[in-house]
Amino acid sequence: MERYWEVASTWVVILAASIAVWSFAAATLPVPDYFLPPPSAVLSAFVELMTKGMLPTFIGESLRRILFAALLGLFVGVPLGLLLGISRGIADFAYPVLNFFQSVSGIAWLPLMLIWFGFGERTILVAVNYTVLFPVIFNALLGVRSVPPIYVNALRTLGASRWRIVRDVLVPGALPNIAMGVRLGLAYGWRALIAAEMLVGANGLGFMIFNAQTFHLTARIMLGMAIIGALWVALDYFFLRPLEEATIARWGMVQR
Amino acid sequence: MSPLVLLRHRSVVFLLVVAVAWGGWELFLTLTAPGRIDPALRPALEERAPLAVAITFGFAPENFHIRLLQSYGVVSGVQGTTVFVNRVSPDDLRRIARYYWVQQITMQSERAK
Amino acid sequence: MMRKWRGSALAIGRGAAPFVFILIAWMLVTRTGMLPTMFLPPPSDVARTAWEMLKDGSLWINIGASVGRVLVSLVISVPLAVGLGIFVGLRRKLSPVVEPIAGFFNALSGIAWLPLAVTWFGLGWLSVTFIMFNTIFFLVFYNTLVGVRTVPRIFEHAVRTLGGSRRHIIFQVLIPGAMPNIVTGIRMSIGFGWRALIAAEMIATSTGLGFLIYNASNFHQTDTILVGIVTIGVLWLLTDRLVLQPIERWTVERWGLVSSDR
Repeated sequence: MERYWEVASTWVVILAASIAVWSFAAATLPVPDYFLPPPSAVLSAFVELMTKGMLPTFIGESLRRILFAALLGLFVGVPLGLLLGISRGIADFAYPVLNFFQSVSGIAWLPLMLIWFGFGERTILVAVNYTVLFPVIFNALLGVRSVPPIYVNALRTLGASRWRIVRDVLVPGALPNIAMGVRLGLAYGWRALIAAEMLVGANGLGFMIFNAQTFHLTARIMLGMAIIGALWVALDYFFLRPLEEATIARWGMVQR
Repeated sequence: MSPLVLLRHRSVVFLLVVAVAWGGWELFLTLTAPGRIDPALRPALEERAPLAVAITFGFAPENFHIRLLQSYGVVSGVQGTTVFVNRVSPDDLRRIARYYWVQQITMQSERAK
Repeated sequence: MMRKWRGSALAIGRGAAPFVFILIAWMLVTRTGMLPTMFLPPPSDVARTAWEMLKDGSLWINIGASVGRVLVSLVISVPLAVGLGIFVGLRRKLSPVVEPIAGFFNALSGIAWLPLAVTWFGLGWLSVTFIMFNTIFFLVFYNTLVGVRTVPRIFEHAVRTLGGSRRHIIFQVLIPGAMPNIVTGIRMSIGFGWRALIAAEMIATSTGLGFLIYNASNFHQTDTILVGIVTIGVLWLLTDRLVLQPIERWTVERWGLVSSDR
């Protein structure tokens, strides 16, 4: 208990000190006003954007897109990766391709998507979903491949059907990798989303901060950044890390 | 596995809190929406004809709001904190009334043209 | 000797086979004329454009710009982040507080900093390099910090019972123990950093591979776009093969530790 108080009080001190230093710097640095708005400006930007209904809308738009990508990754990417991984031949064939396409992030495909679909929602969705899917498929494949053959053989000696092997050995064995792939895919995907929203700009948090820069509304930029970071932290803390921990804890595998 | 066990997971708790909060908020919006529409407009809402309305905010509208309203009708002008929009269907009008940042929706007075 | 050559030729063949397959499929699709060339030019066009760009130097300039930015950022950020990470990690009072803050900035890293960077530094290479610094620094710093903090205390105690000094503990236990995390951090930072770079180059500057492909899309030069995309992929594969795998092998072999990804 005492440790918590110690940590908490150190926190408060650091927080207060940072705000103080920030405000002081904002007031005294010989730079134009829009360079470094004080914390109070960021706070009032928050109030303003909430009152005007802009912030909830932007957040909703970005969240909607990442959620879609997450669901697609989970329900299409994972099964696909598992399927590709089951057969050794197919897995070996797919591995270099997946590796290559994973390394070319969705954003690199954006200019091509702009030619194909123009400046619209579809371009953003394709780029983000691509970014999320490949790490998920790739890691699911790796997960299946990394299950020690001895388990598969053990089940075979007991006369298990192919389906039972998949369900009882391959899928659970691949789970830690799958969880990691989902986490990585969404990490890449969230950042790709912000970038895509900046480039294809009509709505979303990426658009919000990018647009704010054009008008030198730096307080809005900082607010947007804080929210982008906070949303990822929340996503990670409430969903991704529990998922990863649960899969490792449950199947007791030493990760990696 | 008893459903109560699921409650221990922070993901589930988080989702529940979000669902409840969101549901409550939507309810609030639906309840307050009619209050934003000027009584004089009510009869026109029952019709099918597109309306010309003046939408007033509590602040000077930004590009964001203009663009949003353009998806519902034709924005014909802005005066202070009011935006004039033509050819809004009654259904769309009800949707606009649900936005919490909209202060009031009235008929366009002839002078405004 | 012959066997060894045949073995590696076979391996390369197997690795390349899927790409050959894709190439053939690509060629067939464009041959049918289903898609206008603006949408998907045939591989021959792309190859020709690539050759021209290699000859007139335009591809090299952009590769150099992008790779240069990555290298500069790595060389400056990594030592700084590792050093700072170890420094803070060793301080038992400071590290629990810094860790969440570092975690937050880690979550924020990358392209989200771009509008702020442009506000401060304007458009150009400085903003783009700042983004890279930032991405690499926070990732490596956070991973180093966590790495140092999560070395099991028992190792520390073991060294102490053998009469080891603080220096021994730091250099023989904590730093090697943190190595997998540090290496993972560096690997991830290259991955995230490279992506942030491409996105930043599209938005905020006029050289580099990101700019190359974004600019080409404005002129509907799909073949240039594809050249750029392939270049990015190849560069990454080269980095992975020539830089990342050796690093991992070196640290894993040296300290006999299982590497971890975070």
